[in-house]
Amino acid sequence: MSPIHNLPLSRRRLLTALAAGTASLAMLRLMSNPARAAGRKNFSLRAAPGRARLVPEPHGETPAWCYNDAVPGPELRVRQGERLRVTVENALAEETTVHWHGLRVPNAMDGVPHLTQRPIGVGETFVYEFDAVDAGTFWYHPHQRSFEQVGRGLYGPLIIEEADPPRVDREVTWVLDDWRLTQSAEIGEDFGNRHDMSHGGRIGNTATINGRVPEEFAVRRGERVRLRLVNAANARIFGLDFQDHAPTVIALDGQPVTPHEPAGGLVVLGPAMRADLILDMTAEPGSRVQVIDRFYQDLEYRLIDLAYDDAPLRDSAPNWSVALPANPLPEPDPATVRRHEIVFNGGMMGDMVMREMGGSMGEGGSSGMMGMMHGDGIWFINGKAAEGHVLDPMLTLERDRSHVIAMTNATAWHHPIHLHGHSFRVISRNGAPTIHREWQDTVLMAPRERVEITFVADNPGDWMFHCHILEHQAGGMMGVIRVA
Amino acid sequence: MRKSIIAVLAASVLGVAGYLTLDTAVQAEEVTLYKNPQCGCCEGYADYLRENGFDVTVEPTHELVPMSRSSGIPDGFQGCHLAFIDDYVVSGHVPVATIDRLLAERPGIKGITLPGMPQGSPGMSGVKTGAFEIYAIGDGAPHLYATK
Repeated sequence: MSPIHNLPLSRRRLLTALAAGTASLAMLRLMSNPARAAGRKNFSLRAAPGRARLVPEPHGETPAWCYNDAVPGPELRVRQGERLRVTVENALAEETTVHWHGLRVPNAMDGVPHLTQRPIGVGETFVYEFDAVDAGTFWYHPHQRSFEQVGRGLYGPLIIEEADPPRVDREVTWVLDDWRLTQSAEIGEDFGNRHDMSHGGRIGNTATINGRVPEEFAVRRGERVRLRLVNAANARIFGLDFQDHAPTVIALDGQPVTPHEPAGGLVVLGPAMRADLILDMTAEPGSRVQVIDRFYQDLEYRLIDLAYDDAPLRDSAPNWSVALPANPLPEPDPATVRRHEIVFNGGMMGDMVMREMGGSMGEGGSSGMMGMMHGDGIWFINGKAAEGHVLDPMLTLERDRSHVIAMTNATAWHHPIHLHGHSFRVISRNGAPTIHREWQDTVLMAPRERVEITFVADNPGDWMFHCHILEHQAGGMMGVIRVA
Repeated sequence: MRKSIIAVLAASVLGVAGYLTLDTAVQAEEVTLYKNPQCGCCEGYADYLRENGFDVTVEPTHELVPMSRSSGIPDGFQGCHLAFIDDYVVSGHVPVATIDRLLAERPGIKGITLPGMPQGSPGMSGVKTGAFEIYAIGDGAPHLYATK
């Protein structure tokens, strides 16, 4: 298919979906948001092999896969209500797609190969077009062989600005990543190996912020920074300790949350998750404060230093309001909710946890030695290990109705579980109601944890539901939820 | 305890010649065990080695795949943790009798591996469902070293 044909096709699909009366009232209202008059922004992304300066001299540049010759790709930035038109050119040697992570887009724009679109072939172009419905911190990445394509550097931030954001001195985006580099600063070629797939995923040895091993972040006492954090790593979970600073979380996965200090002072972000922080710089002028990643016990490391200028900006933190305006999310109705159960099984030590907590690893499935040796599925959702993106729906949700999905992580590992096309409220963990009932699109489940989420299934189509540890996804931890 | 196990093993497997190697094995053997930071079974295996007289240092790492590969262990034969004992690498939940044999015989190989994490193996829960096949790792393809 020539690039010229891609545009009408994608556009037609979108229009068909709307015109056929399949879009819900809520989504229709979002699509015809009056703010759309604000206009359309055009972007171009070119996925191609390139080089990235991940680690400083005397190391060399790292051969990577880049959007627009950079890691991360360009920060796409629009205002809420604007329309994005993104032309994606594939200059890789393999097929690709782009998924707009966390955005509530029409199904045909969701970027899942074979499920929502034909993959973008080598040398082909595809045009994505959708409205920026929710303000917040989002990101984009391929959904085709993502464990390698994202792992080699294909990702970028997508920021949708509020019309009336909280006042800050500076707004900064940190896209966090983690690389498995060799001594010569090249990316280790061991993508997709069974050990990583059956344990905690491909966790590397080099953490970067915005594609660079960071040294310091220059700040001034009294300064207020809005820090947009995006975890673009395949598998590393970050647990950031800002030490004497008291960050206030104002949004999770792009969606506003009651401003609060994170539990235990640690900002925990699983792969694909985001947090917006208000960070008041309260240390002494001329001082340095380390930001430490403490997630993995005995493997703590300094991520970056906050380096204070000798001259303060002001003596104490400002008292400006930090709350964000709400996004137009439909509120689920507990009275009419439909309930669904999902159990995750598999992985190393999975037999053991399954015996304790139940579930199924399907016919002949095994996480043990035989699975390691013979290439069976490693991870199971309700007893099934996925192969490929085109799957019979594991759940069909009645459209425009409220649903609760009760999820049991009957495995020995963490899983950040991502649902496409919707945001959901996280309402309980291990039976206890959550304090903030936070909206997320990716919820981090601890080993053996039970989590309940709820949402209105207002976006019709077949949507991916998967673990965002990309090696787990590739190992079968993926399913399709149909909204119809 | 460790000394007696070595002695018994050496006597049964190698006869008198084995005793001569005891000079180097009298001290508690030092082991560095690299494991995934979130893997509990590997701690169980470290305890098992300690109970059998080894002096074990546990080091969490995310680098098990590159380390296993550079130790010559093909992906399909990797255990879930990696121990360095003397000049050998021991991958996975290898029973101590096999390690003792390795240290007594001192073959010209890089090490041994029990792939995966079979149920009922040392440090693992569950019931043993079949013989453990432990492979020798060298320059060529892995070959069977012991069946336990």
